[in-house]
Amino acid sequence: MRITQQLIGTALATALSATALAASRNFEKVVPADARGVVEISNTAGSIEVTGWDRPEVSVRGDIGEGVERVDVASEGGRTQVRVVLPGHSGRDGEATLHVQVPRASELHITAVSAETTVAGVQGLQRLNAVSGDVSTEIAGSDLELKTVSGSVKVKGHGQSARLYLSTVSGDVHLEHGAGDLEMSTVSGTLGVTLDAARSVRVRTTSGDVSFAGKLLRDGSLEATSVSGDLNIRAGADGGYAYELSSFSGDLENCFGAKSDKSGYVGHSLSGTLGSGAGHVRLKTMSGDIELCDRT
Amino acid sequence: MQAEVQSGPVEWEGALVQRAAAGDTRAFERLYREHAGRVYGLCLRMTRDPQLAQDCTQDTFINAWKALPQFQTRSSLGTWLHRIAVNVSLGKRRRSSAVAEAPPQDEEGDIAGEWVLETPVEVRELETAIEGLPEGARDALVLHALYGYSHEEAAQMLGIAAGTCKAQLHRARRLLRERLQMEVN
Amino acid sequence: MSAPEERKVKSLAELGGAIQPPHDLWPRIEAQLAGARTAATPATRTPLARWRWLAAAAMVASIAVGVWIGRDLLPLPGGPATGSPVAGNQAPPAGAAAVNAAYISDPRYVRERDQLMRSVQERLQAMPPQTRAKVAASLAVIETAKKDLESALGKNPSNALLQELLINTYQDEMRVLTDVHEAGNAGTGI
Repeated sequence: MRITQQLIGTALATALSATALAASRNFEKVVPADARGVVEISNTAGSIEVTGWDRPEVSVRGDIGEGVERVDVASEGGRTQVRVVLPGHSGRDGEATLHVQVPRASELHITAVSAETTVAGVQGLQRLNAVSGDVSTEIAGSDLELKTVSGSVKVKGHGQSARLYLSTVSGDVHLEHGAGDLEMSTVSGTLGVTLDAARSVRVRTTSGDVSFAGKLLRDGSLEATSVSGDLNIRAGADGGYAYELSSFSGDLENCFGAKSDKSGYVGHSLSGTLGSGAGHVRLKTMSGDIELCDRT
Repeated sequence: MQAEVQSGPVEWEGALVQRAAAGDTRAFERLYREHAGRVYGLCLRMTRDPQLAQDCTQDTFINAWKALPQFQTRSSLGTWLHRIAVNVSLGKRRRSSAVAEAPPQDEEGDIAGEWVLETPVEVRELETAIEGLPEGARDALVLHALYGYSHEEAAQMLGIAAGTCKAQLHRARRLLRERLQMEVN
Repeated sequence: MSAPEERKVKSLAELGGAIQPPHDLWPRIEAQLAGARTAATPATRTPLARWRWLAAAAMVASIAVGVWIGRDLLPLPGGPATGSPVAGNQAPPAGAAAVNAAYISDPRYVRERDQLMRSVQERLQAMPPQTRAKVAASLAVIETAKKDLESALGKNPSNALLQELLINTYQDEMRVLTDVHEAGNAGTGI
């Protein structure tokens, strides 16, 4: 009996470890890459972590799950591709955890479905697309285009000017220490932004609330529109700015004592000039409340 | 292979062009932000008047917006915008100056080259020297040496014969050499 | 670091072409874009041209709302919501039929939008359930926004702010549908 139990136990342990082996495999590959080449990474589920380094190589390490057939890593003509490949019948259940190191000045393109994406230390242009995975990245003076459907977005800048385009359907967006030109849009996510030096800011939301704090450059412009989301804008500017606030049924508040005007049509408007009026700020809502302050 | 490396950003721009052609002004604004500097730079160097150059830039993008549905996305948007900007600049210049310039004399020699200066020159000094060139020479030089168009492409954009454009480039080189008092190779 | 003009260059190509305008010209350009483009390109069979026409038609349709919908012809806020842009329990007053026809003035737009919506619904099925729910909620937010704006425009047809926000909302709906449609391609090549 004891021997039988031992045999059963051994068989069970062997089966479990075999299953464990099939469920998760290690993967590692290094390929040469241009210092300023393009790196494309795609993964359905799991995670993608990208860091920049000073070697002319792309290194991919990770664990790949049971539903993943393989990970292809290939580099040619200045373009490196890292693709998680699922078998045709597997649907989208395969998970892979990828740690990718890329040359710091690479241009980075990532496509993820539900994989969580994190990028740090990459200085080239970034195009990040995710469906439901959360995305977190740092920017360093190069342009960023980031689109998600429902994943949340976190972008950390270092005050270097760049063109930033952030678009989400329902994910929340948090941007800190950005600078340059910014365009953000959401339907129902909340947008929280701090900009060190904004040249132009365009924000659009349907029901999500927007909170902005930052400095407009001389001649800088900020425009935010919302249907029902609230706009809370704290914008300073050395050259001052001309402002126009208008809302159909939302409240208009400001910290500099200006009074809104009914202007002869249904709704409220508030316009004026702060300082020398070099820049301009336009905020519009249907029913969302608007609050503008020139102190950050 | 080089085309492959560049296909990422071009695809991105192509998507923006499609959205803008469909009426998305935000997509068009992004295209504006991408190209405004080079369009304004072209207008400014051709008109030599910042106010006129701003008007030219505005008109360029408005004309581009109107014509965008007909734009072939496989072509370069930048080149297309520059064509429009050149036309607008020439039109504004004709309206503000009735004096026609004498055509250059034909000059021999190859015009190909990178327009390398004998010794480094301050940007301000070089821009002033270019600004001081006669219109035809300046137009050809800006399109060829700053914007990288071949003399045939520049000729087409300026609406002049390729031979005339080549002659203008020779003239530009000779005048720059005199103004900067150095070789321009 | 020296000022840009003091920088020295060794060739004309190093000058580069770009000079930033002294002022942001976009606001003036944007102000002239509305109405700058003539009638939308007729729809073709190619999907890209179709989406192009669709978004342009959305702009036309939304402006038609502002122009054609007369006072009191739309239900009061809080009235029943249906899938139709013009909703109401009671029989519309005389002239409302003309309003309906004017508002849904472009049957091609309605047909093409419906096709895009169906395609998006199919792609949503392949997405994680939480994402499906969030997208559906966001599309519902857009639908509510459209109805609220249309209702307000019904009483204030010449209100430029409402017209602009309605156009924005139509554009945002197209953006969302297109983004979700494209996001549905993510992973198909994986």
